[in-house]
Amino acid sequence: MKLLIVEDNYQLANDLARFLSENGFIVEIANNLRTAKDKVGVYDYDLIILDLGLPDGNGLDLIHELKHIKRDPGILIVTAKNAVEDKVMGLELGADDFITKPFHKAELNARVRSIIRRKNFKGNSIIEINQIKIDLDSREAFVNENLVELTRKEYDLLLYFMYNKGRVLTKENIAEHLWGDHIDQADNFDFIYNHIKNLRKKLQVFGAENNIRSVYGMGYKFFEL
Amino acid sequence: MFKSFRLLTKTTLFYLIFVLLAFFISAKYITNKADQYVNEETDFFFQKRERHLTKYLEESDSIKNFRTTKFKGVVDKNDTLNYPQFKDTLIFIDELGEYQLHRQKTLIVKARGQHFLVEMLINIDDFLKLKTDVSRRIIPFFLILALVIILFNGFMSGYLLKPFNRILEQMNNYKVGKGVKIKAVKTSTSEFKKLQLLFKHMVNRTEDDYQKLKEYTENMAHEIQTPLAIIRNKTEILISDEKVMKEHKESVKVIYDEANHLSRLGTTLNLLTKIENGEYKNTINLKSYDIIQKHLESVKELIALKSLKVEVNLKKEHELLIDPFLFDILLKNILRNAIRYASNKGPIKIETTDKSLKISNYGEPLDVASNIIFDRFYTSSSSGQSLGLGLSLVKRICDLNRMKIDYSYIKGQHTFIIEPFV
Repeated sequence: MKLLIVEDNYQLANDLARFLSENGFIVEIANNLRTAKDKVGVYDYDLIILDLGLPDGNGLDLIHELKHIKRDPGILIVTAKNAVEDKVMGLELGADDFITKPFHKAELNARVRSIIRRKNFKGNSIIEINQIKIDLDSREAFVNENLVELTRKEYDLLLYFMYNKGRVLTKENIAEHLWGDHIDQADNFDFIYNHIKNLRKKLQVFGAENNIRSVYGMGYKFFEL
Repeated sequence: MFKSFRLLTKTTLFYLIFVLLAFFISAKYITNKADQYVNEETDFFFQKRERHLTKYLEESDSIKNFRTTKFKGVVDKNDTLNYPQFKDTLIFIDELGEYQLHRQKTLIVKARGQHFLVEMLINIDDFLKLKTDVSRRIIPFFLILALVIILFNGFMSGYLLKPFNRILEQMNNYKVGKGVKIKAVKTSTSEFKKLQLLFKHMVNRTEDDYQKLKEYTENMAHEIQTPLAIIRNKTEILISDEKVMKEHKESVKVIYDEANHLSRLGTTLNLLTKIENGEYKNTINLKSYDIIQKHLESVKELIALKSLKVEVNLKKEHELLIDPFLFDILLKNILRNAIRYASNKGPIKIETTDKSLKISNYGEPLDVASNIIFDRFYTSSSSGQSLGLGLSLVKRICDLNRMKIDYSYIKGQHTFIIEPFV
């Protein structure tokens, strides 16, 4: 899987590149619109992570360019503005999803994977870690081949964990992923503990090991045992 | 407050008062002059006649009455002190068949060593008529003048003041940030030209300042997000590092929390600014039923996780005149507020009627006056890192969409009611 990160901030671009490489992607970086255009003209990418506010133009131009040269990679728009117009225009132009700065890397990872899965049906729609298996197409979870009845949020939570295995997910991160703007970030997130407790219980019924661990009171981590 | 008048009405009024005064003064002056003239004229006539009479008496023995001069007999020398006497009197004139005013001078004429008492008459009716005519004409004349002035002023305000009124209208309609060009008003009046120019300069300056402020706010909110994203990413790397976390858990947590706080602050302030700038104008008649249901669906589990209950009573007919995006924000914030502060003494209630939307939750009473809960950066002392912008966002959205939001705390329930202004 080959990704292109179009982001003018070197620090952020390198951070993301390292993070996504660790997650098994081949990552390239373009720090401005011109480089990005050059790159998409020469190489094929499965997904482009596109910041809209570039020093030499609007990232949306790249989408035009891609259409022009008849390429159809997945596009994840990164916007710092939280501006509705940008999002709407981006999605209308053919972007697949958007994410607002500053985002959690785990969130980015989940979005990237979800876009790649949607774009590329040949890709594997089954994720399996230890005894736990998720079928992304039917949105079902299995433990030792037994279907586990999960609520929608519990499914999302489990998937988020599995996408980001081995990584600490802070409570804020989890809350934001599951409830977005609906949750007050000032909350002390104790209810997330309950949420995870419920999920563990359901998974353990069919004999799953406890893969989810609490980390320093800051968040949780999904281990591959 | 004093009652206000139009400038032209005022000037007309003052002008008329002044003219009326001037009229009366000049009328008074004219009549005085007329009196003086009459006096001089009659004196002159009387003196002339007196000279003739003296001559006549010296030369002739007989005494004969004339039409306007009558001998009243001979008087003693001592009586001369009482004369001459003047008197204005009405005398019937046969030929004209009317009374006419005459001036009568009774005097003593000395001739041939004798003192003759003589009465002389002069007709001054014409003078009088002139005088009364002058004073009588003043009022109608003034009225005509007043009428002409008023008509003229009406025309002036219609024609001369038209550019001025246009400029006023432009000022009235001007709204900052709309980027509306001020159309030049055609006028040849230099004051209005000056006014127009000043207004234009003012607008340009305001627009300029506004743009700068907007740019600043947007840039702040925008540009700050990239560094914040980096801080957050780096902190997440630290969080994954067991060695660091063992020693610096508290510090890392504070950095992480504050970066999050700052980021949300930027985003929300930017949103608030955009709302206040009226950037969401897609106002439609929005049925709330499905939207509220959708929101409740997304927070259902969250509510359950916090051991809260919801009581929903929605009317399908309830609708609002609002941009859908704004209603989304409004709903998110007011719901979030309810979920955040709700205690499990009773359910969170969401109710709509034909007109109003009501959200209530049980909870501890406010620790401050209820009128400041909509202020920016007000947060209850127990809310820790809450932004304190949620409710002010809701209030602004209500204000901009002609709705009012009322808050009350009754029997342990915090209640917000949103309904359109009637």
